[in-house]
Amino acid sequence: MNYPVWEVQGIGLPWVVGIIAIFHVMISQFAVGGGLYLALVERKAIKDGRSDWFPLIKAHSKFFLLLTAVFGTVSGVGIWFAIGLIQPEATSTLIHNFVFGWAIEWVFFLVELASAIVYYYTWDRIPQALHLKVAWLYAGASVCTLVIINGILSFMLTPGDTWLGVAGSGHESTYFWNAFFNPTYWPSLMIRCLVCGSLAAVWALVTFSRLDVEAYGKTRTELIRWTVRWLIPAFILMPIAFLWYAAMIPATNKHLLELGMATIGSGAFTQVTRIALLSIMSSATIAAVAYLFAYKYPRDFSSGHAIAIVGIALAATASTEYAREAIRKPYVIGSHMYSNGVRVHDVDKLNQTGFLTQSMWTPTGAAVTDVQRGKAMFAGQCMYCHTVNGYRSMKHFLEGRDAKAIGNILTMLRQNKVDSPYHAYMPPLVGTTEEVAALQTYLLTLNQAAPAGSVARK
Amino acid sequence: MSKIYDYLDERLSITELRKFGEKKTVPLHKYSFWYYWGGISLLCFLIQLITGILLMIYYKPGPDAYNSVRAITYDVDFGWLVRSAHSWSATIFLLSVFVHMFSVYFMKAYKKPREFGWWSGMALLILGLLFGFSGYLLPMDELSFTATKVGLAIPENIPVVGHAIANLMRGGLEVSEITVQRFFAWHAVVLPLLYLPLLMFHLFLVQKHGNAIPESEEAVPVAQRKTIPFFPNFLLKDLAMWLFTLNVVAVMASLFPPDLGKMADPLGPAPVGVHPEWYFMSSFETLKLIGRVITGTIGEAVGITIFTLGMVLWCLIPFYDVNTPGGLKGKRATYFGLFCLGVLLVTTLLGYFVG
Repeated sequence: MNYPVWEVQGIGLPWVVGIIAIFHVMISQFAVGGGLYLALVERKAIKDGRSDWFPLIKAHSKFFLLLTAVFGTVSGVGIWFAIGLIQPEATSTLIHNFVFGWAIEWVFFLVELASAIVYYYTWDRIPQALHLKVAWLYAGASVCTLVIINGILSFMLTPGDTWLGVAGSGHESTYFWNAFFNPTYWPSLMIRCLVCGSLAAVWALVTFSRLDVEAYGKTRTELIRWTVRWLIPAFILMPIAFLWYAAMIPATNKHLLELGMATIGSGAFTQVTRIALLSIMSSATIAAVAYLFAYKYPRDFSSGHAIAIVGIALAATASTEYAREAIRKPYVIGSHMYSNGVRVHDVDKLNQTGFLTQSMWTPTGAAVTDVQRGKAMFAGQCMYCHTVNGYRSMKHFLEGRDAKAIGNILTMLRQNKVDSPYHAYMPPLVGTTEEVAALQTYLLTLNQAAPAGSVARK
Repeated sequence: MSKIYDYLDERLSITELRKFGEKKTVPLHKYSFWYYWGGISLLCFLIQLITGILLMIYYKPGPDAYNSVRAITYDVDFGWLVRSAHSWSATIFLLSVFVHMFSVYFMKAYKKPREFGWWSGMALLILGLLFGFSGYLLPMDELSFTATKVGLAIPENIPVVGHAIANLMRGGLEVSEITVQRFFAWHAVVLPLLYLPLLMFHLFLVQKHGNAIPESEEAVPVAQRKTIPFFPNFLLKDLAMWLFTLNVVAVMASLFPPDLGKMADPLGPAPVGVHPEWYFMSSFETLKLIGRVITGTIGEAVGITIFTLGMVLWCLIPFYDVNTPGGLKGKRATYFGLFCLGVLLVTTLLGYFVG
């Protein structure tokens, strides 16, 4: 309401953040797990007197540095740009609460980046023991960045009752620690740590599978087998971590998963469930290929297989992140702000005084038509998730519906009754009855099949 | 465990089979990746077989076709998933068959003694395309109805026998529920009966002659060529590929299930955006382009003739590309292959983005 709306047709606003975030998460979690991996693999090489491992670890650290410090950093900045444009209200709320959290994260990030560069460029230049210390410095700093960002990300799903009790009072940031160590903080951290370890292995397999079987036969086998072991903690503890996480999320969000489970047969309301199941399937595939193939037959494990595992890991990351985001519906900040930026405690006020009247970016004046006002309603409340003719296309949803049918849906969305099928995952429609009628008029223009004259005003 | 093994071994000669598998080798070189595409298409075929049987439990050909697909999609538990997996595995099946065909072509695996492998493969491709064409109509929504109507108008232009062929396929002058009945019989009975023995023959030939190697590898002295045992090494690699493919099918099927449009109305206007399935887009677009140069029925007849001739040449390539001194014919065959691949890609893209 306080900000203009960025219009993205085709893939829609959610996927602008989604695409950047999926790649960023995949790389940044590799940065955390990979840091620990480098420290531990170097430690093992020193301990076991395996100087033949050093050039191979160095090659991996070059790949690691390029991927994490370049792509990870650029995509991280990309997320800031994207969320600032797409969810300005939510971003503003997060900044107001967590500005110091982020400041601390950036300090750690700076240490992480600097130590990654020092680590790579000091191979063979400083004593091995000191080099290992640099690896530990990097690993420590990168784990700290995760420890902090996890507080902010998990806050968005479960801000916690204490913070929600003061939300909107102007004193929110005084409850920083309550918001930070929110109900899902620890299970979420556990899941992310396990994923980080797995991603470290997935990427390291790419490096080591590329080694020539003839030239590096035994070393290649040892490194691949040692790397596969990094997947074990995730595949033993992940189910426990997920159950813990599921136990901590609020009943309303859990309902979304249960609704998906209950209706998976008919395929209705199951996007989150389907994706959650895909996440399990792709993770199981990684485990199966890693053990039955990479571990048992490392000589036959080629770089093509390792890259395919990266592809599946990307699918696993994408589906897990999607499920995590989707389970938060209909909120962007749990029980505080709906996914279209409308605050829960503003709903009644907006219904009485109007949505457009509160917006600084809508056309005003007597010459403004109903269609224009309806379009502004659409942009302000629907376009966060829908597009006109692309992702979650409005044209597709409204196909064949006349004014009355559209009106009924809008009424249902505005009433937002608990037993409505949309209640679980869509925000309520807010605004005066005139504004809702204007939205109906606009939506009808998208639906060319319906007769234009049949617009009913309530 | 060993007792069970011994019991089975005495009766089924498992050890003999295993030893055979261990002795049999598969070449290992930089183009080995292309060996997996036949296996991928086999997996997709098996998925279609299983999901097809499941769909058959609820599908009703004839006047109830649309409503039964509607019920499968919206009422039957997991019906949407089975239908979607059937559709997506068909797409990935044809895609992998095309990749397999071109990789066989460019590896020159059609040469003596593998000619029958090539011909049986071509027959399997044609049957595969007929599976696609007959299956596409079965939901009987307006898009599949109109696309089939357009598709069946093509053979109508074949001189002399065109009408008879089209009417025979349609079961009358128009696409109707009788056509659905016929297509279903083709899709679920006739084509599988033809396909399965041919597939067995194809696999037998692959087993008999082993994997062909590309020319670059042939230049390497035999002693320096690398191989891996079929069992367990290659089989494991093949199974890993199957697992990856299964993931792709699962992701596509669960996230992008096919739509079911409105019920077909023979008297209604054609829906917007009617186009053939992607694997027919190239031939459809080529006929359209030829039709622009030579207009009218003659144009279509010329188009079909050129197309048929091209297919015949493609099938007869083993007779042309025999080992000649200097390898001139081999080079020409490769250029012909590249030309065909180019035409296929360009006309498909034209069909989607220009046509």
